[in-house]
Amino acid sequence: MGPESVLTKKAEEATGTPATEVPSNNEYDYSNFYYSSSDDLFAIFGPYDDWWYGSARNNGYYLFSQPMSTRPGPQIELEEQLNHKALQLLNLASYNYLGLSYHPEVIAAAKAALDHYGLGAAGSPILSGTMDLHLTLEKELAAFKKKEAVMVFPTGYSTNVGLLSALLRPGDWAIMDQNVHASIVDGVIMSKANARFFRHNKPEDLEKKLKGTSGKRLVILEGVYSMDGDTAHLPELVAIAKKAGARVMIDEAHSTFVYGKEGRGVAEHFGLEDQIDIHVGTFSKALGGQGGFVAGSQGLYNYLMGFARSRVFSCALAPAVTAGVLAALRVAQREPELRTNLWKNVAHFRGLMDAAGVDVAESTSQIIPIMIRNDRKILGIARKLQQAGLYLQPIIYPAVAKHRSRFRVSISSTHTTDQLNRAAGILVDTLRAEGVIEA
Amino acid sequence: MKPGNLKPGEVQYEFRHAIGGFFEFPTENARKLLPPHLHPVEPHHGQSVLSVMAFDFTGSSTGPYGELVLSVHVAPRIEAGRPMARAAFYPFLVGTTTRTSRESAIKLWHLPHFMHDIDIAFTTTDHDITVAAAHGGKPILDMRITDYQWEDVEHHYQAFTHDATGSYMASMQMNARFSENEEERGSIEIHAHDFTAGLDRDGVNTTPFRELWMRDGLQTFQPLETLTPGAR
Repeated sequence: MGPESVLTKKAEEATGTPATEVPSNNEYDYSNFYYSSSDDLFAIFGPYDDWWYGSARNNGYYLFSQPMSTRPGPQIELEEQLNHKALQLLNLASYNYLGLSYHPEVIAAAKAALDHYGLGAAGSPILSGTMDLHLTLEKELAAFKKKEAVMVFPTGYSTNVGLLSALLRPGDWAIMDQNVHASIVDGVIMSKANARFFRHNKPEDLEKKLKGTSGKRLVILEGVYSMDGDTAHLPELVAIAKKAGARVMIDEAHSTFVYGKEGRGVAEHFGLEDQIDIHVGTFSKALGGQGGFVAGSQGLYNYLMGFARSRVFSCALAPAVTAGVLAALRVAQREPELRTNLWKNVAHFRGLMDAAGVDVAESTSQIIPIMIRNDRKILGIARKLQQAGLYLQPIIYPAVAKHRSRFRVSISSTHTTDQLNRAAGILVDTLRAEGVIEA
Repeated sequence: MKPGNLKPGEVQYEFRHAIGGFFEFPTENARKLLPPHLHPVEPHHGQSVLSVMAFDFTGSSTGPYGELVLSVHVAPRIEAGRPMARAAFYPFLVGTTTRTSRESAIKLWHLPHFMHDIDIAFTTTDHDITVAAAHGGKPILDMRITDYQWEDVEHHYQAFTHDATGSYMASMQMNARFSENEEERGSIEIHAHDFTAGLDRDGVNTTPFRELWMRDGLQTFQPLETLTPGAR
């Protein structure tokens, strides 16, 4: 009897009932365990564990959350979770688009702040947690974004949740692209505002969804969509929102410091920065740190100071991280060649994929989906890629639609041409062997 | 698929086609259609799922007939020792092409019916199928579903029903050739008609986020279960 059987047996003994009949294939996924019919909150655990240990984990779910023991650079080491073996892998999975998480200046700044300030901020930003570092970061970011004010949040998630739950009220309307990040959806849910989703990047559907709404309305978009790597059709969408008299918010988590001549994002790229009322970004992507920010008017800053509960009731961003992010911001502005090199790498890798006939969907950014379009095969392919020395995260339903399964490639400016060539070689050979692309 | 040996109380239907489109529509609309003890599944906050299913039954205790089912997706019951349902539905209106099939379904499953014969026509090509439903010379809806990869499946589903006599759950097994996709290539046009009066038609997305097509299959119902008050 293996460990899975033991667990199932234990679950049976605990409940006095037999295990749930879960097929041994990948027919089920997380979405099947969202609801439970019992009055006991914990009753779902047994069926969930039956699925997890009896099927999902060994069929490929173990590939998620494998612990890395190195910095998230182009070459990493992680512990494979099925046999607990250390693997040396080429890394195309981390967000570290400019390689700043381990830039010498960033590390030095974080170390110095650790020595000077200690580990944590030891307080909420509205009480004792604000340090001079936080205000310096906010001021320099505001200058970079060419906005009156910037507010820093402890995480990207808490940025959107805090912002939206602070601004929207019951009866207001949030009209969102259907592919916006979960933190935006959760912020809207928390606000109790009315919510509508328009079909991804479809201006005509935004127009339709705006009809019948009145009062305070906020149209919410993203610069680069994280699962598909495509950019918002900003000119058309912003025009429709403005014509309807709605405010516009853009989350540039994946596009700040990447898009635009100065790196301010997709809004800068399209010349629409002043048409957009609220700009959101994160520090965990291109800057390689942690945290998020809202850029906008001084009035917006003042109001969020009192009402953004995810910030008010969290400890302020750790000083070492704040100092590292501040250093990363300075490097990103001072060294535009990092961005230039990123785009050169993106073009090179995309060229390799195009030449091999790999389907990369509508991506135009540094996020390149490698479309597999087969929910049953992708986890097996992921295992083979890892065995061949390549670290890529499979993305499957319900994170994306059924049969839209893909690997998500994140290109960094620090990848060398040789590393990209080797990674593309492993990828193409594996996809050919699996019949995903023609030999 | 050939009809199988049935256990006591089981009921079986044979079909040529069973097709379904899942459409997002406002949860506000869904809640008006559901009894209080059932909760809609929301793929997006504030958006529930309208399921439009059409069956081309070739064999049943009342002979061949066509059926159109409008349902709201609800949370399935997960119980130890029983097969996990792939999904659960609350059918809020069913239309059939024959009186006898209607009477049988009301008696057996307590399903709410449109009490007139409707017309259902299926049109197939190699890779899509269209159903046109009408009554009294007026169209009810037209739905197009596309195919993807085909495989043999055995799926388990649950259907909840509720009327003045109580609340019920029907567990069913579907065995068929099956295709499913979320390629957003299908479509629906819902017409103004008594059959669709419960729907806020403007709120229903006209493109299904999921399309299902079963061919040459069997639908096997287990005996209807009565749910105790307060059961979810």
